[in-house]
Amino acid sequence: MIAFDNVTHAYEHAVALRDVTLHIDDRATTALIGPSGCGKSTLLKLIVGLAWPSRGHVCFGADKITPANVERIRHRIGYVIQSGGLFPHLSARENVTLAARHLRRESRWIEARVAELAELVQLPADLLQRFPGDLSGGQRQRVSLMRALMLDPEFLLLDEPLGALDPMVRHGLQDDLRALFARLGKSVVLVTHDLAEAAFFADRIVLMREGQIVQQGSYDDLRSQPADDFVRAFLVAQRVLVPASHA
Amino acid sequence: MRRAIAIIAALFCAAPTSGEVVVGSKVFTESVILGELATQLLVGDRIEARHQRELGGTTVLWSGLLRGDVDCYPEYTGTLRGEIFAQSSLRSDDELRRALAQQHVWASQPLGFNNTYVLGMRRDVAAQRSIAKLSDLGKHPDLRLGFSNEFIDRGDGWPGVKRAYQLTHTDVRGMAHDLAYRAIAAQSIDVTDLYSTDAEIAYYDLVALEDDRAFFPAYDALFICRDDVSDATKHALNRLAHTIDASAMARMNARAKLDHVSEAQVAADFASQTLQASTLVQVDSRASRIAKRTLEHLGMVGLSLLIAVLVAVPLGVLAYRAPRFGRVALAVADVLQTIPALALLVFLIPWLGIGYAPAIVALFLYSLLPILRNTHAGLADLPRDLRESATALGLSRSAQLRFVELPLAARSILAGIKTAAVINVGTATLGALIGAGGYGQPILTGIRLDDIGLILEGAVPAALLALLAQGAFGAIEHRWVKAK
Repeated sequence: MIAFDNVTHAYEHAVALRDVTLHIDDRATTALIGPSGCGKSTLLKLIVGLAWPSRGHVCFGADKITPANVERIRHRIGYVIQSGGLFPHLSARENVTLAARHLRRESRWIEARVAELAELVQLPADLLQRFPGDLSGGQRQRVSLMRALMLDPEFLLLDEPLGALDPMVRHGLQDDLRALFARLGKSVVLVTHDLAEAAFFADRIVLMREGQIVQQGSYDDLRSQPADDFVRAFLVAQRVLVPASHA
Repeated sequence: MRRAIAIIAALFCAAPTSGEVVVGSKVFTESVILGELATQLLVGDRIEARHQRELGGTTVLWSGLLRGDVDCYPEYTGTLRGEIFAQSSLRSDDELRRALAQQHVWASQPLGFNNTYVLGMRRDVAAQRSIAKLSDLGKHPDLRLGFSNEFIDRGDGWPGVKRAYQLTHTDVRGMAHDLAYRAIAAQSIDVTDLYSTDAEIAYYDLVALEDDRAFFPAYDALFICRDDVSDATKHALNRLAHTIDASAMARMNARAKLDHVSEAQVAADFASQTLQASTLVQVDSRASRIAKRTLEHLGMVGLSLLIAVLVAVPLGVLAYRAPRFGRVALAVADVLQTIPALALLVFLIPWLGIGYAPAIVALFLYSLLPILRNTHAGLADLPRDLRESATALGLSRSAQLRFVELPLAARSILAGIKTAAVINVGTATLGALIGAGGYGQPILTGIRLDDIGLILEGAVPAALLALLAQGAFGAIEHRWVKAK
């Protein structure tokens, strides 16, 4: 479980997160959703130590995340960003195996794991020799996913992983991803600004606005009982039919 | 670090073996002939000796002598009085010898000619304006004066003349002595400083203006040596006492400068005719000269670049990791870059002597900025996505640097090294001025002798080397750097 306990994150003069308390369950898919700049990506960065709380703290399991233990915690988390973040000077295979080689895993284990993951994300094995620049957007995200899954992490954090793909590719990859999440049974945190995508993947949706959580629950909860006018406006903007307010 | 560089550089120079007498000479023909003459006489007397020719001006040679990089060199009494002992106004030659002895410097007997400064004009211009004496110059304040760079600054040069004759000329420019002759011949200047034994006075039909207030002191030529040279050396040099009069010296200068006979040959002919001493003149073929210069040049550029890479790349990484330190480091490197090369070389002489060491340190300092700046920029400009991905992957800080950041910044770092290499190939030609040899040597000699062929012998290989460096780094980049 990942727990945010009264976390505030400020950078320079702006505040990205304000007193956020949130529990992310194991073996479930949680979607963080909200307009641009609401702090949803910052939330992910706090988990992998790319950002640190100004106040409050974040726990991974029983451990408070600190600079001293974050490197080990990172090995238990897979992190995929919108652009893929693949290193252009390394082949797809080298990208995928970099962390494992750094940790001096046995090369036979690495080979087997790569084969297994390629099959899992449905990437033809011969594409692994290519450099990221020679892969399509969808292929790049599959490689990126392999890299995130290499060390068999407990948590998978995905920051708009399909945001840069065209609709057809995106649709195909959504189906593959959902099947994959179901098969792996891992804890997944997905950042998206697309409610339909959130609804498609997530057991629980966390809606954020200006650094705070506005509402959390299932898609049906949000739709049937929007917490306030903002939630309602957000749903309308996403073309979701909302029951009229009885306030 | 500085010490380490000094040591590496010192190892690299051919340190004079204990017995060998190093004869230096200044960067003008007469000095080179005298240096050659002295060396040949020493070798003829079976004393191991080597001529380090064209080492620069008085400052370079005098400090080289005090440090022991040079054992002997031809000098003039007027220069010793007016430049080196300017503070102590030494009247007689005995006083001068005592002052030299205090610095542990021995002086030979005078060679027999007084190569004093004179101011000269084209004969036709002087006649037209009826100028014959220095005091006549006061009536023509519109004259354009062009002086050698040394003369324009030294106390016994232009400032002194100006005071003594109360001159008010405003159009006064500094230039290389050899170029001043060409300028006066082309009438782009009217007056210049000459040495009274210069071959060009007759050649360009110039007149030497009479020093009617006896401003210029005597410039009697002699050799000065560290007083720890052997008695045999002193004896050999004193064989030249009173053997060269002004016209003999002017004839030798003319043969070297105007007839393009090598200084070694001129010196050898004089030795055999006047002293009945037979000496050996070794003349290297052009190919072997170029090969030697290439080795010297590559040595300077390669070693300085190697040290610069070893220092500047880690510094660039540090500057990226610690931005506050980075700003200071980049500012310091910026300032170093603005120091004129020649000035930097002269600053380094009291510390490192002459030869390879100061040249390598200077080139090293000039290489720092491009490499440091490009290393820093290459790292700082990496996309944030990639840096964060490397961190989130759980790589240690050093692994991130080694596997991700440095390879991605490689193109920029390599471009910095390439810039430094190409600049160094050019700047290293100045190394000849302080005895480091290289392609600058023929360029220097060529300018002095007005010999285009010799200038090209240095300039063409230098340009080719610069192109080669560029091409080699291009190939490395193509082969090793995959990142976009």
